[in-house]
Amino acid sequence: MKTVILFLIPLALLGGVIALFILTGGAGLDDKPAAPVESIDFERIQLHEGSITLTIRNTGQEPVNIGYIAIRDLVAEYTVRPSGGIPRMGAATVTLAYPWVEGEAYEILLFTANAIPFTTSIEAATETLPISLSTLLGFTLIGLYVGVLPVFLGIFWLPALRRLGPKAFTWLMALTIGLLIFLGIDAIAEALEKAGELGSPFQGPGLIGIGAISAFMLLDALSKRRAMANCDEVSTNERIALRISMGIGLHNLGEGLAIGSAFMLGEANLGMFFVIGFILQNITEGLGIIAPLVKQKPSLKYLGLLGLLGGGPAIVGTWLGGLVTLPALSVVFLALGAGAVLEVAFEIGKFIAKKSSTLPLTICSGVIFGMGLLYLTGFLIK
Amino acid sequence: MRMAIRKSSILPAWIAALVALLVCTIIVSCSVAAPTNDPHIMDVSTAHTAFMPGYARDVDVNGIGFDPMAILEDFDNGKVSTLPDGRTLREYWIVSEIMIVEVAPGVFYEAWTYNGRVPGPTIRATEGDMLRIYFTNATMHPHTMHFHGIHPGAMDGVFEPVLPGASFVYEFEAAPVGVHPYHCHIMPLASHISRGLYGTFIVDPKGGRPQVDREMVMVMSGIDLDFDNANDLYAVNFIPFYYDKHPIQIFIGERLRIYLVNMLEFDAVNSFHLHANFFDYYPTGTSLVPAEYTDTISQVQAQRGILEFSYQFPGKYMFHAHKTEFAELGWTGIFEVREKP
Repeated sequence: MKTVILFLIPLALLGGVIALFILTGGAGLDDKPAAPVESIDFERIQLHEGSITLTIRNTGQEPVNIGYIAIRDLVAEYTVRPSGGIPRMGAATVTLAYPWVEGEAYEILLFTANAIPFTTSIEAATETLPISLSTLLGFTLIGLYVGVLPVFLGIFWLPALRRLGPKAFTWLMALTIGLLIFLGIDAIAEALEKAGELGSPFQGPGLIGIGAISAFMLLDALSKRRAMANCDEVSTNERIALRISMGIGLHNLGEGLAIGSAFMLGEANLGMFFVIGFILQNITEGLGIIAPLVKQKPSLKYLGLLGLLGGGPAIVGTWLGGLVTLPALSVVFLALGAGAVLEVAFEIGKFIAKKSSTLPLTICSGVIFGMGLLYLTGFLIK
Repeated sequence: MRMAIRKSSILPAWIAALVALLVCTIIVSCSVAAPTNDPHIMDVSTAHTAFMPGYARDVDVNGIGFDPMAILEDFDNGKVSTLPDGRTLREYWIVSEIMIVEVAPGVFYEAWTYNGRVPGPTIRATEGDMLRIYFTNATMHPHTMHFHGIHPGAMDGVFEPVLPGASFVYEFEAAPVGVHPYHCHIMPLASHISRGLYGTFIVDPKGGRPQVDREMVMVMSGIDLDFDNANDLYAVNFIPFYYDKHPIQIFIGERLRIYLVNMLEFDAVNSFHLHANFFDYYPTGTSLVPAEYTDTISQVQAQRGILEFSYQFPGKYMFHAHKTEFAELGWTGIFEVREKP
């Protein structure tokens, strides 16, 4: 009881300070800005024949009212739902009547009632896909091609790798570390880019920190608990393979998310070349997953599970990206993926650390080669 | 193999977490974003009327603070008296004041005005009249009245800023014949003009211009809502789309005279295009002989002229800047022509 009271004393004092602040009218600190500070995020743009629908979110301090909207220097009529002001953090859909033309670019300028302008643009107008079974099937197919199939193709290297000696095994593990570090950096960069588009209340960088660190710490904690249970080399290797595929899976979720949202907006560069590039890059992910298993005989079912775990989330990602309108969420997923792959890289690093004294160049070249491999295949998809 | 599966006992938890995330995000996104396939949206695309720019809602006289329709035909001839030497004296009272004007539905702009309206009062006199303009500045910034015309330097409204609360009397002879602008000449000039401190000054020839049925004043301008030295909206007589939402009613055969002045800041050239008709154009109105018979003229800032025309057929006829960007951002109006009852 006494403890509780001791804890409550500062809170009571705080209440007193706040009351004093309010009673004295902010003690002269409540200066209003000359013009209201407003902030609007454009979360989604959908195009249907003769109309453009914007999903906007008020990320400012005060409620926002829309004044007028000009699209490509034309004042366009619009309807907004829910009608009236948009509360802080609230969202609204704004539908513009506008005869847009396929393939043209549009700049949309929204003025709030306080005459604060916000702009967004459409790079190339195209009909937004309806949310239907065939669209979902399309997403699944993309996820399959860019995520699941490449990972499985990579796994097919297992018989060949098994013919290699222990030195090659270490080199492969180092290569996997390189792959994972590169994927981690890539995911962080993409998360930062997306975070930049978020309104300030979302605190994008903080969100990335929370996502990445919690994925890292959680996987680390899980691995330590497991390590206490089994410590023979076979189970350690399988555990690492599993965690690599989990990390890569999380990463592929983020990748799928980006593809899904781009595809929904008709902005996805999904030409043959692009898809082939994705397959090439993600094949290396399959390689990373099986690297720890080279010295043992995992069952087909187990390998299948690893492949699904590594590639399957790409499918889930495309669905999420296509159906969900929250950009903050993609930031979290990208950060989770980054944390996961970096943790696995760290884990493998610990695993092969004891060999680093005997094979320093092998490990060094493996890591650099792994990063270089993703960099080069990245040329095909960036 | 069994061993392997057992060892991967965190697998189900992993899959469950993914599914849970998916479900949660879909629920969240459905609750925040409105449905997309909405019959309401379809209304817009299947409308059979012509697609036109403009606001869905109207701005009314209460929000604007003055009546753009009244401004069209409102001429201030001043308080007329005769001087000892027999000349006509005209006296005008002008106050500069700040006014919050609803320039688009729900969008309010702090305009700087002469007599609570933009454009300011149309000051009208006859060539040779003595003019006395009592100007009072009721704003918190210095302002002046700078008339285009012929007058002494001390009456030019450039080097004699009228401070807040102060007054100044501009006194000069009305010259030359024509239509001229007046505006504030305090620097930075672009700000003072674009805020609304401008108006029309008409000098009629002795005996007047030839008789017409109706005379109107149109001042072309823009509004820079966000102060980035670029106009966001355009208009004649300050309120975008006003004569588009409220067509100007005229009759077949009525002879119209329009005093057209361009006070547009930031953009280099403005223009006026009349639909389905041609007009006689008198640049600056200094001659009684038309310089051109056309349907489109252009004006740079402070350029002005007089247009005369009449309509033969009933119907709705647009008039607008033929810089179509300006037209679609508000500089659009309509003449609605009907049979004379």
